[in-house]
Amino acid sequence: MKTLLRSQELTCPSCVAKIEKALTALPGVQEAKVFFNTGRIEVQHDPEKATQQELVQAVRSAGYEARVSSI
Amino acid sequence: MIVQFRNTLRNPRQRTQLESAASGVLILGGLAARYLFGATLAHNGLMAAAALIAGADIAMRAWNSLRNRHISIELLVTIATVGALAIGEFWEAAAVTFLFVFGAYLEARTLSRTRKVLGELLDLAPVTALVLRDGQQVEVAPHEVAVGEIVLIKPGARVPVDGEVVAGASAVDESSITGEPIPEEKFAGLPVFAGTVNLDGMLQARATGVGADTTLARIIARVEEAQEEKAPTQRFIERFARWYTPAIILLSAAVYAITRDIELALTLLVIACPGALVISTPVSIIAGIGQAARRGILIKGGEYLENAARISALALDKTGTITYGKPRLTEIFVLQPSRIGLPEEVNSSVSFNSTRWTVEQAEILYWAGIAESVSEHPLARAIYNEARTLTALPTPDTFETFTGKGIQARFMGHEISVGTEKWLKEQSVAIEPGVESALLTLREEGKTATLVSLDSMLMGILGISDPIRETSAETIKRLAHSGIREVVMLTGDDEKTAWAIARQAGIKNVKANLLPEDKLKIIRELQSKGHTVAMVGDGINDTPALAAADIGIAMGAAGAGLAIETADVALMSDDLLKVPEAIRLSKATLRNIRQNVAIALITVGALLSGVLLGEVHMAGGMLVHQLSVLIVIFNGMRLLREGSGA
Repeated sequence: MKTLLRSQELTCPSCVAKIEKALTALPGVQEAKVFFNTGRIEVQHDPEKATQQELVQAVRSAGYEARVSSI
Repeated sequence: MIVQFRNTLRNPRQRTQLESAASGVLILGGLAARYLFGATLAHNGLMAAAALIAGADIAMRAWNSLRNRHISIELLVTIATVGALAIGEFWEAAAVTFLFVFGAYLEARTLSRTRKVLGELLDLAPVTALVLRDGQQVEVAPHEVAVGEIVLIKPGARVPVDGEVVAGASAVDESSITGEPIPEEKFAGLPVFAGTVNLDGMLQARATGVGADTTLARIIARVEEAQEEKAPTQRFIERFARWYTPAIILLSAAVYAITRDIELALTLLVIACPGALVISTPVSIIAGIGQAARRGILIKGGEYLENAARISALALDKTGTITYGKPRLTEIFVLQPSRIGLPEEVNSSVSFNSTRWTVEQAEILYWAGIAESVSEHPLARAIYNEARTLTALPTPDTFETFTGKGIQARFMGHEISVGTEKWLKEQSVAIEPGVESALLTLREEGKTATLVSLDSMLMGILGISDPIRETSAETIKRLAHSGIREVVMLTGDDEKTAWAIARQAGIKNVKANLLPEDKLKIIRELQSKGHTVAMVGDGINDTPALAAADIGIAMGAAGAGLAIETADVALMSDDLLKVPEAIRLSKATLRNIRQNVAIALITVGALLSGVLLGEVHMAGGMLVHQLSVLIVIFNGMRLLREGSGA
């Protein structure tokens, strides 16, 4: 399943690698892609193993607030 | 209370806010202790506390990254802070951590404002739709509306889907889509777009596009892709950063090896982080593309933005671009010296309501309008639509159309013929020599001449033109001001008509009698002369030329989904003035990028040499570094100002 998160708080492109690594470190996340300019975070994950809430939590642990978005 | 406090701590943004405030207060307390009371011990304690409060969060993030095998800037700051505390530099440790946390907080806040245009667009997405199902009004989510269903749009409500009005009339605010501040009057037959706001009347519309298949969704997708698309400058900077960061690590290792000064080496590591440089371009691009989108100009991405800023030649299609693409009746020549009058039976009941035409002209138009009321030909529509503004028109008793020639109708015993000069001659209507000059005048103005006769007597000539847009001449003037050296008008029309329009628009270069592939050839010729060429067209007929140009600009894209996706620059409205505006905004953005790169490079250069010369210490260096990042963000944000000429 693909979940779209949005964050308004990315401040430097090095955040991108940080968030991507934090997300892919979660069990059940196959792929995570962070777009710096728009703050868009695309996550390919197994909702059984990694819930959307856990994704938000992982981004938070890297230091950024994000929320689930439908578009 | 405790729960609330814990929630605050869990939210990164609120936490950094709190930490900045707490460590800031402690630093002020420490400074007061030292300089007002001379209490050095209290000073050191307060500074250490400040460093610990701000530093704990930095250290935690550094640890989280390290666990994911990522060496972050937080790690460098943590090492530097621990080092400073170890050698008793409490003030340095406090200042560095405070500046780092507070700076990051300010950067996040300001940067989120440059991203706000996308947020504004996302907020436009309608939440509910009112659908008519089996005669019942049902409230559903907009994506649950099926294409073909009728939606009700109440005054004040957001249009939930793309659709076509089937009943009702209302003004609709379409500024979110087209950037045009003046509301559009909507009635049956006209399109409405999801995300626009119905102002005063009730509308019923048949859904034609739902969810991802709406103009709004296409715009959002376009803006998002455009903002992510890397400009050449950004790609260059990223290549630069790839060798820059390891180079700095090597440099500080070398400095330590030579000087054995761990503080100097750490300072170098922390200060030389290219923060301002890596965001210099993205910040300008996000703001520039966002501001353009807000004004109904969709630019495909950073590369196109840089290209648009370099345009030196511009080719415009005539029909639908310089002109409206909708023929209109503009002139009526009266050939009868005396009043022709109206049919006796209606004379008493008809009164003309026109400030545009004299009574004689109105009478010719009235007769012609009766005949043309039954024809669908574009020229006939132009006559009928103008005649309709005079008064209600009756339908003819009988009529016969002659394709490519004209129409003949009977009304209350009179015979009306409206058509070409040649055809009327065939009908043995006498064309006197004086008429020729009137015909020539019209043609030299690029207008189509249509003759009207009543009972085989020539009554007048109607001049029909595809009028030039009011904004065309102003557009050409502004293009010249913005450094476009060559403006060419392309058209399939004949020379006479083409030049007549070009003269009105102030265009000096015309290519007439063109086939679509000829337009392509002209674009290529301009490019071979060394020009960066833009082509402006309606996006449907001019596709090859638009694709061949360095920048293809499509007009009126709101109604054409494909144009939004394919054009390099899509103008949502039909306003030609958006062309110079798009070029101006592109130039402003390119200038902004260059300013930002310059600011960033100068800052990094100055800091590096300052540190190596021993003039800049960690706290001061951190302050300058954070300030340069903020300056770059604020400079980019200037592009978001209304009517930005930045």
